[in-house]
Amino acid sequence: MKEYVLDEPLTDDFLKFLENFGTVRFLEQLRKPYFSFEKELFISIKGFVGDGNVEVRYKKEFQDLVGDYFYLLLYYYDQGERGISQLKGQEDSIRQRMKIRL
Amino acid sequence: MLIHGFVRHTGVPFHAITTELEHNSVLRPLTTLEQDRALSLSVVPFAGNKVSLAAIRQVIQPETRLVVMTHGSNVLGSVQEIKPIAEYLYTNDIFFIVDGAQTAGHFPISLSDIPVGAFVFTGHKALFGIPGTGGFYIPDPDAIAITRQGGTGTDSQALTQPSDMPMRFETGTLNYPGIASLLAGLRFINTESLEEIERKGRDLTGYFIRELQHMPGITLYTTAPDLPVVSFNINSIDNHEAGFILVRAYNIITRTGLHCAPLVHERIDGRKGCIRASFSWFNTRDECRAAAEAVREVVESADPQISAD
Repeated sequence: MKEYVLDEPLTDDFLKFLENFGTVRFLEQLRKPYFSFEKELFISIKGFVGDGNVEVRYKKEFQDLVGDYFYLLLYYYDQGERGISQLKGQEDSIRQRMKIRL
Repeated sequence: MLIHGFVRHTGVPFHAITTELEHNSVLRPLTTLEQDRALSLSVVPFAGNKVSLAAIRQVIQPETRLVVMTHGSNVLGSVQEIKPIAEYLYTNDIFFIVDGAQTAGHFPISLSDIPVGAFVFTGHKALFGIPGTGGFYIPDPDAIAITRQGGTGTDSQALTQPSDMPMRFETGTLNYPGIASLLAGLRFINTESLEEIERKGRDLTGYFIRELQHMPGITLYTTAPDLPVVSFNINSIDNHEAGFILVRAYNIITRTGLHCAPLVHERIDGRKGCIRASFSWFNTRDECRAAAEAVREVVESADPQISAD
């Protein structure tokens, strides 16, 4: 498990971006609006909208393959539609390596 | 130390008994010894959150030499009736180790009335010490072989561990800050009174349970615990997520997961784990109210159907 401290708080728009890659859960009727992002075998992210830190967990067996995935999400977020397709391409490549390992 | 020491003292494989309520501090050494074929093991199920003497008697064999059992469940908060069990086992020459980690400091325990083989406590829970201390009461130290050797600060000429108490079991530099804190904790208990501590624990636990009991969307695993421990789940959200939200958004610290007691969770929640709230002398009714309110908000947010009803 890792805790990341971000330069800027996560936004609703970033959560919309995450929806392209996995399951986002958003609970807004709390003292702080909470979100979680799950991508099976890759990553699980938990945090609060407007907070500057998030908790990230990786699947232990594939940590060496997916350890940079959170950085990739942040990087491709800035690149719009092109970023989405490029990240999906990278995911396919990671999945191939996971299949070999499995 | 006690389990391994008893095995070494006995010298031949035997049958041991433990229960589904146990903490890994008991399950792991017993399971390891079972895998090493040093003993065979029976695990007694609980019913109504307790393990009865009758249930233990059902699994006793001619080769049974050891029973290891928790005094209080760290998940269900139930306190076991160890006196009749101790008396039966004593009469039948079966060594009885009681894990009192969850009970010592919560209410009076008169060990002179209970013929245990050993009673174990930890310093960092209801005895108000810092982590890193623990101990046991043992009427017959010779029943446990020495399993650790090292310096004792005494009898330095001897190349083997001294066999008299307490050096028999105390090896190496002791945790003096921890022991000092344990002493302070015991003095604190004597000042406040064990009966008052028990009363307050029951009051806070009862209050919190009453708040949760009528909340839709909650599964409570005990409604009348003997210890100030309430285990529950919010049905529409994973217990780890719920715990994360409670601490980060509401400053309510709970423990989530399996609580080092996997066999209990196998029975109550299919090993998914649960949320556990524990109440201390230092908690207040206002804090319990705030915790219950936070749980309510999580429930309603996680399942909008509930807040709509």
